[in-house]
Amino acid sequence: MQIPFGLLTVLIFFPAFGALALLLLRGDDHVWIRRFAMLIAVIEFIFSVLLLAKVPVSTPGYSLSEFHSWISSPPINYHLGVDGLSMFLVILTTFLTPISMLASWSSINHRVKEFFIMLLMLEVGVVGVFLSLDLFLFFLFWEVMLIPMAFLIGIWGHDRRIYAAIKFVIYTMAGSILMLVGIIWLYHATGSFDLPHIQEVLASGSLQIVDQRGEMLLFLAFFVAFAIKVPLFPLHTWLPDAHVEAPTAGSIMLAGILLKMGTYGMMRFCLPLFPDAAHRAAPWIAVLAIIGIIYGALVALVQPNLKKLVAYSSVSHLGFVVLGIFAFHNISMQGAVYQMLAHGISTGGLFLLVGMLYDRKHTFEISEYGGVATPMPKLAAFFLFVALSSLGLPILNGFVGEYLILLGTYQAHWQWASWAALGVILSACYLLWSYQRVFFGEITHEKNKTLPDVSARERWILITMAVVTLWMGVGSAYITRRTAAASQTVIDQVNPQRVYEGAAPPAPPTVGAANAAVLAPGVVPGVVAKKISMERPALR
Amino acid sequence: MLEYLWIIPLLPMLGSATNGLLGAKWPNKFINSVALGATGLSFACALEAVREFFASGQTFFRKEYFDWIIVPDLVHGGSLFRAGFDLQMDQLTVIMLMVVTGVGFLIHIYSTGYMAHEGGYYRFFSYLNLFMFFMLLLILGANYVLLFVGWEGVGLASYLLVGFYFLRKSAADAGKKAFIVNRIGDFGFMLGMFLLFRTFHTLDFATLFSAAAAKPADAMGHLGYFTVACLLLFMGACGKSAQLPLYVWLPDAMEGPTPVSALIHAATMVTAGVYVVARSHVLFMHAPTAMVVVAIVGCATAFFAATIGLVQTDIKKVLAYSTVSQLGYMFLGCGVGAFSAGIFHLMTHAFFKALLFLAAGSVIHAMGGEQDMRKMGGLSKKIKWTFATMLTATLAIAGFPPLAAFFSKDSILLSAFNSPDGGHILYALGLFTALLTSFYMFRLVYLTFAGKERYDEHHVHVHESPWSMLGPLVILAILSIIGGWLAAPALWGGTDYFTAFLNPVFGSAEAANALDEAAAHSLELTLAVVAVISAALGLLVAFLLYGKQNDKPANIAKSAGPVYTLLLNKYYVDEIYAALVVNPLMWISRNVLWKVVDVEIVDGAVNGLAHGAREIGDASRHTQSGNTRSYAVWVVIGAILVIAVIFWVHLQPTVEGMVR
Amino acid sequence: MLPSSAIPTPDDFCRVLPEVLWCGFGTLIMLLQPFIKNRHFFTFLALTGAILGTGLSVIAGAYPGPGFGGLIESDGFSVFFHLLVGVVAALVVLAADPYLERENLGTAEFYALVLFATAGMGVLAGAQELLTAFVGLEMSSIASYVLAGYRRESLKSGESAMKYFLLGSFATAFFLYGIALVYGATGTTLLDKMGDADVTSNLLKLGLALILIGLGFKVAAAPFQIWTPDVYEGAPTPVTALFSAGPKAGAFALMLRIFATVPAATHLWFWAFWILAVLTMFAGNLGALVQTNVKRMLAYSSIAHAGYILVAFASVTFMTPELSGGAGPAYAAVLFYLVSYALVKIGAFTIVSQIGGAGEKHVALDDYAGLGQRQPLVAAILSLFLLSLLGLPVTAGFFGKLYIFKAALDSHLIWLAVIMAVNSVIGAFYYFRLIVLMYMREPSAEIAAAPLVRFPVTVVIVLLVTAIATVWLGVAPNPVLRFILQPTLIGNLH
Repeated sequence: MQIPFGLLTVLIFFPAFGALALLLLRGDDHVWIRRFAMLIAVIEFIFSVLLLAKVPVSTPGYSLSEFHSWISSPPINYHLGVDGLSMFLVILTTFLTPISMLASWSSINHRVKEFFIMLLMLEVGVVGVFLSLDLFLFFLFWEVMLIPMAFLIGIWGHDRRIYAAIKFVIYTMAGSILMLVGIIWLYHATGSFDLPHIQEVLASGSLQIVDQRGEMLLFLAFFVAFAIKVPLFPLHTWLPDAHVEAPTAGSIMLAGILLKMGTYGMMRFCLPLFPDAAHRAAPWIAVLAIIGIIYGALVALVQPNLKKLVAYSSVSHLGFVVLGIFAFHNISMQGAVYQMLAHGISTGGLFLLVGMLYDRKHTFEISEYGGVATPMPKLAAFFLFVALSSLGLPILNGFVGEYLILLGTYQAHWQWASWAALGVILSACYLLWSYQRVFFGEITHEKNKTLPDVSARERWILITMAVVTLWMGVGSAYITRRTAAASQTVIDQVNPQRVYEGAAPPAPPTVGAANAAVLAPGVVPGVVAKKISMERPALR
Repeated sequence: MLEYLWIIPLLPMLGSATNGLLGAKWPNKFINSVALGATGLSFACALEAVREFFASGQTFFRKEYFDWIIVPDLVHGGSLFRAGFDLQMDQLTVIMLMVVTGVGFLIHIYSTGYMAHEGGYYRFFSYLNLFMFFMLLLILGANYVLLFVGWEGVGLASYLLVGFYFLRKSAADAGKKAFIVNRIGDFGFMLGMFLLFRTFHTLDFATLFSAAAAKPADAMGHLGYFTVACLLLFMGACGKSAQLPLYVWLPDAMEGPTPVSALIHAATMVTAGVYVVARSHVLFMHAPTAMVVVAIVGCATAFFAATIGLVQTDIKKVLAYSTVSQLGYMFLGCGVGAFSAGIFHLMTHAFFKALLFLAAGSVIHAMGGEQDMRKMGGLSKKIKWTFATMLTATLAIAGFPPLAAFFSKDSILLSAFNSPDGGHILYALGLFTALLTSFYMFRLVYLTFAGKERYDEHHVHVHESPWSMLGPLVILAILSIIGGWLAAPALWGGTDYFTAFLNPVFGSAEAANALDEAAAHSLELTLAVVAVISAALGLLVAFLLYGKQNDKPANIAKSAGPVYTLLLNKYYVDEIYAALVVNPLMWISRNVLWKVVDVEIVDGAVNGLAHGAREIGDASRHTQSGNTRSYAVWVVIGAILVIAVIFWVHLQPTVEGMVR
Repeated sequence: MLPSSAIPTPDDFCRVLPEVLWCGFGTLIMLLQPFIKNRHFFTFLALTGAILGTGLSVIAGAYPGPGFGGLIESDGFSVFFHLLVGVVAALVVLAADPYLERENLGTAEFYALVLFATAGMGVLAGAQELLTAFVGLEMSSIASYVLAGYRRESLKSGESAMKYFLLGSFATAFFLYGIALVYGATGTTLLDKMGDADVTSNLLKLGLALILIGLGFKVAAAPFQIWTPDVYEGAPTPVTALFSAGPKAGAFALMLRIFATVPAATHLWFWAFWILAVLTMFAGNLGALVQTNVKRMLAYSSIAHAGYILVAFASVTFMTPELSGGAGPAYAAVLFYLVSYALVKIGAFTIVSQIGGAGEKHVALDDYAGLGQRQPLVAAILSLFLLSLLGLPVTAGFFGKLYIFKAALDSHLIWLAVIMAVNSVIGAFYYFRLIVLMYMREPSAEIAAAPLVRFPVTVVIVLLVTAIATVWLGVAPNPVLRFILQPTLIGNLH
């Protein structure tokens, strides 16, 4: 018999069924609740790994599409699809969910059932966001994801959890409602919510309703929503609060995945739908991204609170991603994709470890630690490992993305890359300095002498993370080959003529030209970009 | 074996992993066997690989193993960017390979003795092997990215080993400082790579250099992309090889165990910068301006560091500054186009400086951890072997014939003298530095070994080190004696084998400054004589001041008060950096960016909005007086409003741009 | 004026069957009241009446066309509103039964008044002539005044009734005077006769302005919203539920009628609506921010929602000739919103009336702290309603908002849409705060000690109906939408 739904639907709703099943379990039977939820998450992960086999390696476009019409007016369809980009983000999600479950295995002891239900619902929302090809469906999951996250922060968080939860919700709402207006406007203009279809309409240039100013407004409506999620300076202030207050699992999911929804949205919607506006806005966005990189790092440098430090480091790292996207360069785009995944693992790992420290000491204040490498050598070792991956040490995952982003950006706008590269220095500063203050030196607090080292459970989580980190650092080609098509598509959509021809033979060397290329290397691609935005069958 | 080059770096990696993961519970001899086994094996493999390399008679070998980072190009096929795990071998690599594996192996042996009684034994050897892995990657890598892996990796190893005694704050600080200062250099290095890729669309040495060779060189004093790229790369080299202004981390790095100082901060890692410059010689030859900068920086550093070395009292600090100074020589050599001379000095320096450090380590070991030379003296009788080897090394570094540095330093000074742009000044400064070198080295020897004991006999029981430590000393001593003959120029009846050997690599670069024989010989002779004289002079001064117990040094110190304190405090460079860069940055980050911009302005604005909304709501609540009459008034007001609107605000649907 | 030839035909009576039935049952209940003491009997009776009437409105729909010489119109539109107010009445009756018992208030009069009010709204919805509309308006209003003061012993209740009455009649006066002026200007009170009225005549303008004021008061548009919080707070909670759903619907229905048939109004009222919408949204949301009393908060929120509906009206009125084809969706938006909103509000107020307890003591926000743990199901349902008010996906409220946004953008009212978006964010704050209270705070000692609130079967029915409908409309709004968009409904409005 013919099954009406495919793998993607399963991926989205399987955790939801898991959550429903959890509802039936007895609330006080914590052990089985944990095990069951874990089981669900693991099975979900296995499902997601199937994608690797099913998604073709280097053919652009979406595969495994599912299309059912849902609401006739306005025409909203249940349209799913996956490409290299969303595939790996989904796998990242399904990978981090069980990790964060294990991370909160023993630290969450009240309202356990709700906790795991929330985690699963969160997974539903996030996976849905990554797989939706219908703007409306996308928005729906985008909002669905909001509530469980808010609950995770608000119920199982720390002292100022409610403030943080409300702040998180309002911030996100503010963005997403504007996005809704944008979506509806786009529908009003194109008569469709269907992403591929809208792209066709826009590409065909048959669209007369949206003028240049309108396109910019539309672009902003989407971009602001995503920029808040990323978060892009200066829309980032919800992040430190949310992270510091959230429970470990919350932080892992937040930093590991939710932030990526912003950058994902930029790649999936902002650039392909509004290339002109994107080109016009790019310089400003790049500046913000660079500010974010440096500013985030500097603020992280002086945080007395370890978790806040990691939170600000995310601001810095995501700045790289945004920069990589808005450099409109193939290499930097690839780098951005890779950095999304790498950051998911490494920052997720950092929050994991910070959480473990908290479980032992119930504080994030760096000054409360110091010299704890002596009682906890293993934890210290893992922490250093993850910190190194986060500061972009080669053969660990952080390097690949950062390097490609900077390399690509440099090709397009050398000034941007030069400024952004400062972040590489600063990341070393804040990570190593905080690491020293936490782990090195003589033990300053008597009670720290007896802190227990990693338990078996923790060790296995950390080993898993470490292995993935190392693998992503060495075997990056496996991933980049599969994401290439996706980012290539975005590049082609955002600038129809490729600004930069791969290994094309360098121009005949006249010293003059060469100097021009060095003294103002930024110019060349800039010019081409402008030419493009004029030549495009524009939306006017 | 040549086909399997990857085994050479892999072995130490495995050793590191094994010790790191399992070693904690093991007895030392297991750990030794793993660590030494790994290094020794990779040394053997290296030898075999080199043998095959020569046997095959080829001058260049390159093999691609797998794509490490790749950005496929779906439009034209192939890749937009590829950083493969590709290894290569040529004469330059051979030299580095031999130095690294050979000296590295010796130092491993030495460490088994030196560290025998330290805690964290397994950690130490795990780190040491890790270092070997990255260092080998650095020299075998066939493209800039892979080189950069090793480059950053050795930085990490250095971070770990310098901070080995992490309970000591100074050690942890030093490790962090080393890493961060190196990162500053790497910043430049990365930008350099980006610019090269931007220009040549590849970072593979082979293709990149052949493409570069085809391009015209930048004119002197002109910032073409060659020049800019080279300067950026050199910035990285300055960080790694501790040149001005980024040398500050190396002296502090002496916090690490002495074998580490010998291996990483004398023999191998710190020479990576020189290696990169030599490796990129094609680019540098196209960038005369950059070359001059390299030469000047090198020379200045050599002199600058030597002056600081004059007054240091910590035996390892002296050696550290001497290292910085010697690295300066190497850059000077490269800067004036004598790349093989630079590399040659790199090699000999690896021998005698490693020896010096190890000997110093042996001294410290003998003194039970004492490093202050003022608390030593008269050790020559107690620890003969150490003394002998130390003396050999000192003679070598001072440049007495026929020891290593005599030849290597000479060839550098010669090339400097010959170099067209400002060569004579460079030469003069280099020569004077040689004098200083010989002085502070003999000062060290005298203070340590000569005179009478200045330590407390009852507490310190001086004892000769075990053979596990002396063995390497002896071998290195022999090397520092004969090492120089490799490059003994025709003048001394030698055939400059070394230069000839490196010719396939640098040939093109150095054809430039080959003078006609006769002139060359006479000049060489004079310069050599001058050099020896200056060295002897240094020895003499040292003897007069420190030869026998007297208060001359003190008097001089007094008379030259400010200069002396300036030198003693290393020109206050650290303090200046702290005052100009570190502290302001921290202050701004904390008190401006975080406390004001983030909390007050951005977050303040957000919360302000929320607060404002509540305020308005509160205000509106007061309209809810509950008093019906006032309500009626509201209704009337509303009524007036509506009527007014309907009468006076007309709708023109056709008019565009109306605010809606 | 009425054509003298208008002799009512049987069909005419079929067209007003629902009103007739509702009034009939109302009267019947009044008559039986002295003889029957069983309060639940009256509940049953009233419920039957409400439902029957609702059912009959379908029959009335089977006799389309004007009735009583054009006084009333029976069409899809009026059927729609009859169904709406009928269902509202039924639900209110169900919700009121335990409430009245608890507060120990007489049932008969209460139900009778509810039915009369409903009948009035029905008339309002069907009215095609201004005086008829006025009659309907008064029927519902006067009943409402009494209901507001139904808790005799409660001072608040009496006060609210008084205010409502005074201000209400004040507004009605505007309305009536408006009718007079329009009549003066056009010589008729039949809406469909005004089609070709002279837009420029000041008399007409003034008349329409006054009518707008009168209706603005009924729908609680700022600055006529001033009475709402006090009245909503004072009135018995089931009555509040009724107010927030019924009369509004009626008044909006009349407004729609007037636009649909009097183009003059369409063009004159645009800016008025634009401004009223903005004022109302802000007045409602900002006001709600600082409330500590659930009923007041919901009162303000209903003001805000009136504002959202007014946005749709603004976009309807802006339907310029070339765009007029698109007016349909805008109307649909209003109707759909009214449905979704009525369901949610009734559900929410029902819960409030239960939690409130005897004498409505527990109406402070803090009384909801920890409800999520004490009574998860109730908390879940209330959260559902709040999320619907907040406009989150898979709830009816979301589509309501969606259609209004769409209507606004269809008419290029971009800034109005943006303002509405901003307001929804403000709204999110206080709705979410209540959710936070229920789930993220521990109950106060007093509450924790108190026994769990009982939810009698009638209330459960109400909650189930409203909750299920809310989700259903959130997942599959199509059937309702199709019904709204059918040509006989929207179509003959244009």
